Amino acid sequence: MTAESVIQVRNLSKVYRDFWGRKKVQALNSLSLDVRKGEVFGLLGPNGSGKTTTLKLLLGLLFPTEGEVTVLGEPAHDVGKNERIGYLPEESYLYRFLNADETLDFYGKLFDMPAAQRKERRDALIKQVGLENARRRQLKEYSKGMTRRIGLAQALINNPELVLLDEPTSGLDPLGTRDMKDMILKLREEGKTVVMCSHLLADVQDVCDRIAILYAGELKVIGNVSELLQSNEETQLLTSTLKDDAVKEIEEVLKKHGAQLKNVSHPTTTLEELFLKTVKESRERPGRRFAPGEAPGQDKSGAV
Amino acid sequence: MDYESQPYHVTAALVEWLLVIGAAALIALFVGGVVALFLAGRRAPALVFAALKRGFSDLTSLSVRRIGALARLTIQESLSRRTLLVLFVFVSLFAAGNLFLQSPGQDMPAKPFVSFVMTSIRWVLIPVALLLSCWGLPADIKSRSLHTVVTKPVHRSEIVIGRMLGYSLLTSFILFVVALLGLIWIQRVVPERSKPQLTARVPVYCDLEDFFFLDRNGQTGKGLNVGDMWEHRGFIEGQTKSRAVWIFEGVDESYLNDEGELRMEYSFEAFRSHKGRIDEGVRFRLHLVNEEKGLDVPYPQRGAGLEVQEFSGERAARKDQEKPIIDIPRELSRTVGLDEDGSKVDLFDDLVEDGKLRIELSCEDDGQYIGAANTDLFIRLADKPFAVGYFKAIFGLWLMVVLVCIIGTTASCFLKGPVATLLTFGLVILGHPMRSYMENQLQQLDEKGRVLGGGMLEACYRLVTQMNVQSPLPENDATRVIQYLDTHIFNGLKIAEFIIPNFKHFDMTVFVANGFDVPWMDAGAAIVPAILTVLGYLIPCVILGYFSLQLRELEAK
Ligand SMILES: Nc1ncnc2c1ncn2[C@@H]1O[C@H](COP(=O)(O)OP(=O)(O)OP(=O)(O)O)[C@@H](O)[C@H]1O
Ligand SMILES: [Mg+2]
Repeated sequence: MTAESVIQVRNLSKVYRDFWGRKKVQALNSLSLDVRKGEVFGLLGPNGSGKTTTLKLLLGLLFPTEGEVTVLGEPAHDVGKNERIGYLPEESYLYRFLNADETLDFYGKLFDMPAAQRKERRDALIKQVGLENARRRQLKEYSKGMTRRIGLAQALINNPELVLLDEPTSGLDPLGTRDMKDMILKLREEGKTVVMCSHLLADVQDVCDRIAILYAGELKVIGNVSELLQSNEETQLLTSTLKDDAVKEIEEVLKKHGAQLKNVSHPTTTLEELFLKTVKESRERPGRRFAPGEAPGQDKSGAV
Repeated sequence: MDYESQPYHVTAALVEWLLVIGAAALIALFVGGVVALFLAGRRAPALVFAALKRGFSDLTSLSVRRIGALARLTIQESLSRRTLLVLFVFVSLFAAGNLFLQSPGQDMPAKPFVSFVMTSIRWVLIPVALLLSCWGLPADIKSRSLHTVVTKPVHRSEIVIGRMLGYSLLTSFILFVVALLGLIWIQRVVPERSKPQLTARVPVYCDLEDFFFLDRNGQTGKGLNVGDMWEHRGFIEGQTKSRAVWIFEGVDESYLNDEGELRMEYSFEAFRSHKGRIDEGVRFRLHLVNEEKGLDVPYPQRGAGLEVQEFSGERAARKDQEKPIIDIPRELSRTVGLDEDGSKVDLFDDLVEDGKLRIELSCEDDGQYIGAANTDLFIRLADKPFAVGYFKAIFGLWLMVVLVCIIGTTASCFLKGPVATLLTFGLVILGHPMRSYMENQLQQLDEKGRVLGGGMLEACYRLVTQMNVQSPLPENDATRVIQYLDTHIFNGLKIAEFIIPNFKHFDMTVFVANGFDVPWMDAGAAIVPAILTVLGYLIPCVILGYFSLQLRELEAK
């Protein structure tokens, strides 16, 4: 791949320490990855595997114990790069005493936007996230999904080039989830780069170009979603509906290489399977890293 | 009013400030360098340099809009904590004051009313400022709302300044409302007879070094001590050449009042060595002296002189409602009792020399004494309305509250709410009384920096071993350690003296309560030093707050 890297992470480690400097958790261990311009990158992993920690390190909210991070060509602690970044935190950490309008106006001001531009962005975003009817209510009265929506609007206030979303669909209703996915795809169309963490694998599978799976702070799998989910050792046939004896016949026919095939392709596992296997294998054989393209523990049985 | 006027030296204060700040910066740099060396090894110098460079640009390229937004947010946050309820506290305080300060007979002076208002404003508003500013930022970090803010292009310096500004604006608003209420309250409840005391006298004092005594032979000397340890006045003896001398500077015709007279006010004290004429006060006279021209013009020009009671002038005056005021006309006779067309002298043409007016006080009663201090005689310029002095004192209070907001915000950048509160509380509330204690202690140092009469540890040692103060400590290592530590405790005190804000500049109650205008310039409470003190803290506090936020992870631990 020659596309330019928007995020470069090199040997990144993070140890959380307590007040006295004693080690509490090794949240990340020597993580290296690149996110390319214009792609939707999914960061997966079980709870506590270090996804949020990675995002916070990218944003300079945390300082790395070791390793380096470059975001949009700048070091993570650089404030200037934030002009081009949007961030939706894991829980929407907003000011509960402000209403939706005030919230967006406030964050707009932090981007030094003039009043007219702020108003325009605010109106558009409130419409986009579907909060027209609640724009004058204080955030403390909001439901979880509504808070998520205003959080998203806040992340997009500056029309960012790079959007970091920490579990964007958590708490959203099915419609909201659909909207969120559409919005992510729209961002990709506009040439923006999106990095997201999520536990909803079906969603990730729908929208992500590439994914990485973390386990206990270590990178286990990274690659294109389509490549990761396909296996080169088998062939998949797709036919019209068949009766039982027909299936038997096909088995025979296949032996004779004579059937009319409607579709021949490599079979894909679901992302869910990949995820579960990765986690299982990582637990059984800690320290192993899977090469790109080599999905863990594929069973050799054929699928029809 | 027992108060000593002393000149405030702006340049000296500035130099002292620069030295302290410079030393602090060097220490911080050194500590930072060592820590960086420890953490980053050979890359340390580059890291420190980068942090400094970034700090400089972050502290100089500020956005007004962002700071404004953050200040506004701070205010909204404080309002959501129902801060304005504090206004009800004031209303109830004033109502209570109404009840308790009502005295029978309508002869309550104005002073307690004014003091009450100033004191209650101070003691309610400062804790409010303290708590707001110390808890805001830590709460913001704990709830992680600050995460969303710092992932925007916001400099941490803007967060610090925005917070300081927000708290200052909010407390200013409260202060302004309360000050207005207080003024109305004072004007309504002060009894009619005491209303004239609500004024803002504008005194011109002579400098401390321009005030001295002549002894009974007319030689420069000290005033007599009449045996009262706490008496700050020196006394002069009646019917001798003993005099108290004031030299006022910068005197010109603009000092005259509408009647063309130079108004002076005095508050001397009498001391009797024998009963004398017990129904009258002890008599004194002022003398307008021009040594070069050999002039010594007495005032009053007729009669046996003015009287002063055995109390200080103000209390005496209150008693018989006679004001301790002397109006000196421009044209005077050369000597006492000389008839009208005798030779005349002009106050400005003949007596004032290079703007200097020398006034001497003599006691006219044989064997009696009159006591005077530097501030006991002053030229009184045209009075200003009470509100002028009042609002100047409120301004002083405002600066104090702002200083609390500044220090509180800074502390909250690196400490959690309770600890920040404690630290600020220590600096602000305890700093004032502690300061005089420290100054007292520091006076025990001799020129070589040795502790006279033993330091704290030595005192403890003597207490425990029941050793008396005269016998020397044994010559051994323990003694040396004790003495070494004692000296360093004192050095620590010395440093603390620089760091703890000097709140004496801010408390201007004494002026308004006594019907004086608040001075612009003075080493005590005065407007300019108060402003400079706030600025002096603002700059290092912003820098300290910035680096504390910048160099730490904003993660609740
Ligand atoms: N502030 C903190 N102090 C100490 N340890 C922390 C802190 N934040 C996270 N950790 C630890 O770091 C590890 C990684 O946490 P992180 O929040 O990155 O996980 P995650 O992948 O985002 O999990 P989830 O899917 O539940 O959101 C966990 O073991 C967690 O306990
Ligand atoms: Mg997380």
